[in-house]
Amino acid sequence: MSAEDPNPAATPTPCEDTQGDGRWMSLHNRFVSDSKDKEPDVLFVGDSLVQLMHQFGIWRQLFSPLHALNFGVGGDATQHVLWRLSNGELDNISPKVVVLWVGTNNHSQTAEQICEGIMAIVQVIKNKLPHARTLVLGVLPRGKSPNPLRERNAKVNELVQEAVLSVPHASFLNVDPGFVHSNGSISHHDMYDYLHLTPQGYQAVCEPLHAHLKSMLDKPPEN
Amino acid sequence: MSGDGMNPAAVAQPGEDVRGDDRWMSQHTRFVQECKDAEPDVLFVGDSMIQLMQQYEVWREVFSPLHALNFGIGGDTTCNVLWRLQNGELQNIHPKVVVLWVGTNNYEHTAEQVAGGILAIAQLLTSRLPNAKVVVLGLLPRGEQPNPLRQKNAAVNDFLRSWLPRLGQALLLDVSGGFVHSDGAISPQDMFDFLHLTSTGYRTMAKPLSDLLRQILNEAPEDRRAPLV
Ligand SMILES: [Ca+2]
Repeated sequence: MSAEDPNPAATPTPCEDTQGDGRWMSLHNRFVSDSKDKEPDVLFVGDSLVQLMHQFGIWRQLFSPLHALNFGVGGDATQHVLWRLSNGELDNISPKVVVLWVGTNNHSQTAEQICEGIMAIVQVIKNKLPHARTLVLGVLPRGKSPNPLRERNAKVNELVQEAVLSVPHASFLNVDPGFVHSNGSISHHDMYDYLHLTPQGYQAVCEPLHAHLKSMLDKPPEN
Repeated sequence: MSGDGMNPAAVAQPGEDVRGDDRWMSQHTRFVQECKDAEPDVLFVGDSMIQLMQQYEVWREVFSPLHALNFGIGGDTTCNVLWRLQNGELQNIHPKVVVLWVGTNNYEHTAEQVAGGILAIAQLLTSRLPNAKVVVLGLLPRGEQPNPLRQKNAAVNDFLRSWLPRLGQALLLDVSGGFVHSDGAISPQDMFDFLHLTSTGYRTMAKPLSDLLRQILNEAPEDRRAPLV
């Protein structure tokens, strides 16, 4: 890739309906219409890690009481979330906090590109919701054993953590409670397929996240 | 079906590690390991529809008490399941029932090929586990609105309905009823992404499946074998 080429991770792109059942666009349309009669204080946006959270008891237990809405789509990369947020999902709501969790599906892209994609999403949120704060969650390690994607995801977190420092309305939260054991392995009790979280894995991620969100909602914006 | 050897959906193939984190093989290796200690009465094998079931309470409440093992891997096709079963996932175990649910991810194959792939897995199971019953779950409709994949999955079920009885020990359980509403839409209350089931969706299909499994498990093995002797 030459310096002039646009970064695919930061270019809004609808997900191609390769399978032929139109599910991605159905989900996007549902989020847009859902948002018309909801008044969420917290919006979760991202990929399957956001989406699946909504399916387990932890969501009703911790996040429904915060008036949270869930716009997670399995398989989404940064460019897909960027497209969704630029095309209606933020137009009818004014949440106080947006929780953004995406990046692990940006395959064949570098950590730098992914970080730029995440920061482009942060900017769209700022443009559409000037009074909201964005909390970017760190991407989790993946794979049962050490592998290049774990290194890439760790690098993404390093870059994003640095990048949000200069953005007053954005902050970063590492939600990895220590999924990688001392022998280097991730347990299927935490990630059933070494990527997606079990209810137990969600519990470890969501309890500190919930506490963090509560303190954000209780406090006025930093600036 | 003619020319089984030519059916690409009936060719055993390991899952490709396109992402580079080797998760597919890690899961297969874990399943093979689980075979060494577990003594399941019921084995669940298939794709994410099987795999996700284990993450909901319905698994602990309804299926786990039947001594069930879950060998589901998200994204698997008939080719991948065939490979796994030929490469260690049936070693040392003697389940009385195998529940097979796979085929909706076979995007490159026709309905007849997908059904042929499922039949090939059922044949492998009946030859490796001559005393076991094989319950093949029919493919579910998918997509919020009517679309070609719904028609294809329904066609797969039609082939299976006519082919599976020939195997004697295998039967089709169609759990697709009720998911498509009168206006043609599938509800996100049942399928959160119009493909994967919510806990409510799993409750709906778990009832007829657990009824059938209990019925099979309660049949004394002697009674089942008697007519064959
Ligand atoms: Ca900041």
